[in-house]
Amino acid sequence: MYLVAHIDQAICSETACRLCTQYCPEANTILYDNAAKTAFVAVDRCKGCEICVGICDDLAKHHAIKMIMITDLKDTFELSKEGFRPESWTGQHP
Amino acid sequence: MSFKNMTITPGWEKYMTKEYVDLVERGPYGKQKKVSEMGSFKEVLEEHPMCAGCAMTLFIRLTMVGLPNPEHTILIGTAGCGRLALTQTSIPFIYGNYGDTNAVASGLKRGLEVRFKDQAKDVVVMAGDGGLADIGFSAVMHSWFRKERFTTIMLDNEVYGNTGGQESGMTERGALLKMAPKGKLFDKMDMIGLAQTSGVAYIARLTPTNPTRVASVVRKAVMIAREVGPTFIQAYTSCNIEYAIPTPKVLDDAREIESKRYGFMEIISDEAKAYLDSIDTSKKAKK
Repeated sequence: MYLVAHIDQAICSETACRLCTQYCPEANTILYDNAAKTAFVAVDRCKGCEICVGICDDLAKHHAIKMIMITDLKDTFELSKEGFRPESWTGQHP
Repeated sequence: MSFKNMTITPGWEKYMTKEYVDLVERGPYGKQKKVSEMGSFKEVLEEHPMCAGCAMTLFIRLTMVGLPNPEHTILIGTAGCGRLALTQTSIPFIYGNYGDTNAVASGLKRGLEVRFKDQAKDVVVMAGDGGLADIGFSAVMHSWFRKERFTTIMLDNEVYGNTGGQESGMTERGALLKMAPKGKLFDKMDMIGLAQTSGVAYIARLTPTNPTRVASVVRKAVMIAREVGPTFIQAYTSCNIEYAIPTPKVLDDAREIESKRYGFMEIISDEAKAYLDSIDTSKKAKK
């Protein structure tokens, strides 16, 4: 099994800094929910490089992103299944 | 044959592919998207097979956001890491032979200017340090001397990363690599100086540590290449495999190299500066 980035949305929604969405090397992987003001990860695209963890910890100093084993995540968002539909992102994504 | 752009017959848009519809409705086709909006719009770059945590991938992703008109752009690349991601964009990509990228781009740009008189088409060459400074060197220099109007972007990872770590002309002196076990004996090539000598209108050197800056530099380079002359961007995009950088440290390394020897630098000709100012004033007048 492998690690993927997981964003604590309670911390993230308080800051709305959006830095992780800009520094992730993968396109449309860390997505941003404008309604809930939080970032979340499309786990099917995450390669587990941990760049976002460094950005959130050192640059933004918010400590909202952790690397978590994919099997330990209950509800996951997969872009290939859901399609790119920002209007349906209602803050309910894990 | 008409000299107009091809357009979709009204009423038939729903039969276009999902990616195209997303790019028009929720992406950068037809409207400029900002770096600060990343994550909430559909990007030109798709899933790709490049290594996890690669700085070159980050730079390519930001470049795609910076392009002023991705729907009117053609990318040219060659063998090397960059093409693994460049082929996965919703932009036509031409796989040049090693060495001829800038020659292909010259012909293509001239052809497009004849074919599409009322629509600016951008040609962007994106290749590695080996493809542009070593093998493609003569085509690059000659396209600059001829003042061909397209953008050349060097993805400088300072090594032949795709073939096992041979030194390139852009490798630092003394760098130890798998296929250069005694360290490189010569200095890094001064491509910025060569670009200046050959009269390139806009030259920039940068690292992907500042996303907004990457996008704005690419935008400026492409706009100047449309009207004024050749433009050149040299970007430090470390190879975390050949230089053994742990992926969480990739951006720390980029920051360190930036502060030591790869600081942001911009050289712009007077003509190019006047052109950029004229765009800015016409934009402000519209507002």
